[in-house]
Amino acid sequence: MSIEIRNVNKYFGTYHALRDVNLEFASGELTALLGPSGCGKTSLLRIIAGLEQPDSGQVLLHGEDSTDRHVRERRVGFVFQHYALFRHMTVAENVAFGLTVKPRSQRPSKQAIRKKVMELLDLVQLGFVADRYPNQLSGGQRQRIALARALAVEPKVLLLDEPFGALDASVRKELRRWLRRLHDEIHVTSVFVTHDQEEAMEVADRVVVMNKGVVEQVGTPDEIYDNPATPFVSRFLGSVNLFHGRIHNGWAHIGDLRQEAPAHANGSSGPAVAFLRPHEIDLSDQPEGSIGAATITSIRIVGPLLRLELEREGGEGLVEVELPRERYDARTLPIGRKVYIRPRQMRVFVEKNAS
Amino acid sequence: MSSKHSLVLTEAPWLRVVLITLTLTFVALFLLLPLAAVITEALRNGVEAYWEAIVEPDALAAIRLTLTAAAIAVPLNLVFGVCAAWAIAKHDFRGKNLLVTLIDLPFAVSPVISGLIYVLMFGMQGWLGPWLAEHDIKIVFAVPGIVLATIFVTFPFVARELIPVMQEQGTEEEEAALTLGANGWQTFWRVTLPNIKWGLLYGVILCNARAMGEFGAVSVVSGHIRGQTNTLPLHVEILYNEYNFVAAFATASLLALLALVTLAVKSFVEWRAAQQAAAARNAEPPASVGSLA
Amino acid sequence: MASASAFTFKRPSVIPGFGITLGFALFYLSLIVLIPLSSTFLKSTELGWDGFWQTVTHPRVVASYRVSFGASLAAAAVNLFAGLLVAWVLVRYRFPGKRLIDALVDLPFALPTAVAGISLTALYAGNGWIGQYLEPLGLKVAFTPVGITVALIFIGLPFVVRSVQPVLQELEPELEEAAASLGASRFTTFRRVILPSLMPALLTGFALAFARGLGEYGSVIFIAGNMPMISEITPLLIITKLEQYDYAGATAIAVAMLLISFVLLLLINLLQWWSRKRHTE
Repeated sequence: MSIEIRNVNKYFGTYHALRDVNLEFASGELTALLGPSGCGKTSLLRIIAGLEQPDSGQVLLHGEDSTDRHVRERRVGFVFQHYALFRHMTVAENVAFGLTVKPRSQRPSKQAIRKKVMELLDLVQLGFVADRYPNQLSGGQRQRIALARALAVEPKVLLLDEPFGALDASVRKELRRWLRRLHDEIHVTSVFVTHDQEEAMEVADRVVVMNKGVVEQVGTPDEIYDNPATPFVSRFLGSVNLFHGRIHNGWAHIGDLRQEAPAHANGSSGPAVAFLRPHEIDLSDQPEGSIGAATITSIRIVGPLLRLELEREGGEGLVEVELPRERYDARTLPIGRKVYIRPRQMRVFVEKNAS
Repeated sequence: MSSKHSLVLTEAPWLRVVLITLTLTFVALFLLLPLAAVITEALRNGVEAYWEAIVEPDALAAIRLTLTAAAIAVPLNLVFGVCAAWAIAKHDFRGKNLLVTLIDLPFAVSPVISGLIYVLMFGMQGWLGPWLAEHDIKIVFAVPGIVLATIFVTFPFVARELIPVMQEQGTEEEEAALTLGANGWQTFWRVTLPNIKWGLLYGVILCNARAMGEFGAVSVVSGHIRGQTNTLPLHVEILYNEYNFVAAFATASLLALLALVTLAVKSFVEWRAAQQAAAARNAEPPASVGSLA
Repeated sequence: MASASAFTFKRPSVIPGFGITLGFALFYLSLIVLIPLSSTFLKSTELGWDGFWQTVTHPRVVASYRVSFGASLAAAAVNLFAGLLVAWVLVRYRFPGKRLIDALVDLPFALPTAVAGISLTALYAGNGWIGQYLEPLGLKVAFTPVGITVALIFIGLPFVVRSVQPVLQELEPELEEAAASLGASRFTTFRRVILPSLMPALLTGFALAFARGLGEYGSVIFIAGNMPMISEITPLLIITKLEQYDYAGATAIAVAMLLISFVLLLLINLLQWWSRKRHTE
């Protein structure tokens, strides 16, 4: 394990920002800390870096307790959201900084530093801006320089705080693909913070979903997407339809549907809620295997998809559905038509923690 | 009319002319004329008389003492200002606002009282006076008193210039330096200091101008011994009270020159700082990430 | 632990050097400012309450308050208008020599007060460049309270200009455009839209100029004439008492002045807080 977090708690005043967080980050992996703003993900990243101190708990880097170790001895590379480039230094001086502040005995020669800087600038494909100042660069360029600067000291782990947060949408997309490729090249254990689930899914090997200071789920992007462990994860990873029902003796009753719910087999019964993503729904003429009937209220063609809005019978709310155009014909689904909602896949949670 | 304002936002031309004329008149009357008067009065009896008044031994001694007092007070207040600004702007602690207010205190105190407090501390009637006399240490009515009073009246200059500048910079660059392995001193010297250098210079210039020009506070603690405890402004007063106007104004012209140099450097610093701020804002990135795809 | 961390003195941070910098700052502050100032308050108790009261309400002292307060108020009031005018012209108009005027506004900060004092005296004396025209009109400036006011106008001008200027610069043009589009005349816009936004800054400048005027010494004593009961300012009385070795008396007057200064400082802080609040809203 490259990074281990054990029972970490952090308070800001009386606000409990991190609650008993336990995490492990494997060597060479690229992990995303994903969650809404205020969920504690940035605090956790800063605690790993040593920029904040946990109120209790431990941080282990490569098996060594580093909780009380000062940030400058941790050998972590940290990339700040707003880059934090030294504005009075050229790009080359920025990248060289970590090498030039080493004690004289460990400091490489001037030529060695220059060589290393050029290598890093080539790695981030920005060799041509070496003598410019940060304010002469675009946001995306600044971010890549910040990354090169962090890599210069050969960090054991690389931490990135919302690395694409301050960038335009188009630049952001491009840069995250680039980061993925770069990681495949250098393979340093990396953790990045993001509130954008698409970004986490596209870039990371593993995703840690956090909410209100608690780790909700850890897994690969598809595990998390296909099997969200909690209602929060389910909702946070994209739009989702909610269907209310009951759980009773290990069976879930959602609308007209009765389905085995083995996870709730041992006796828990009460109100429940089912989560269905728009693309996990089939439409049918027959009531068998359906939650219930609904009326089509709108239909739009969005690229390869049909996007429908249904009104459930009995005033139970709206349902969003996405259907592939190769399997459904828009002409057979006119507005006002009655259809049955048939889930292909459904996750049921007991209502009390479905908030 | 400033270019950023549209037509509806300005006054009729006649009114503009009236307002500008009023301003110029006021500035001429209250700011320019006093300056001109100093020069004219100083040269009333010709350049030779002017020069004699300046190279006279008591005048030279006064210049020396003024420079000495400033040379001690300004660096001390500089170190204090940097320390206070570092603690206040880069850290969060209780009582911070109170500390900021206390630092400003000397500006709220009349110069005369600024001198008086040291007389009460170190004078013969003061708390430490008898003990100091026993050990033959002279503070009040001697050079140390002058230095202390000068430090007091110039106390807030550097700190109050630096605190807002450093607060605005935030702590991200320092944190970045620390993650890259820099120690505290390297972080301050190589990251913080270059970012605050204009603010620092600004504070030092104002501090120095006041240190060399202070009159009231120094007057109380000086004892007015010619050639020994007379600073330049006190020398001006003595000459003036002896009706030696040419010499008084000649000496005063040196101080006026100091003021003009101060204003020039200050304008330059402001101009540089504004230029840098504009460069940081305007420099729109030329090449974009398009080149890496 | 949660509640414990809510009451700590300092929020932990990785930025080093807090202990040593704050330690030195507090040490230096105490040594130079706090201890000497508080010892002054202690010294004033030597007189006892009656003695203190008698000293600070002695007719000559009361007369000096009147002179100091009157002249400072008058000068600050003049600067309120003059400062607004100068700031307005510097921010809004373009004319030759503007940068020079802008730099010159700080002259009173940079020019030693004694120099300002003798120079203003030379200008306004009966035979001076300005005094020779005023005297025949029956207006004696030098060696009267009017002279004190003139000196304090000089000293106080930059306070108002430098308080108002940045606020005026930051004022959104949209506000005025909106007022104009709603049919307001230029004067109405100024009175109802611009002036209220400038008010906190104007008052701050006024208070700063007034406070500085109360304590001012160097630029005043040359032009004041220093006649007891008529043109004697309070700081001068402190010096007079000191020269008579009346340390207790000098201290009593100083303490009275300090108290007034601190109240003014508090007021100025409140005004600035108000101004900031206005500005960020």
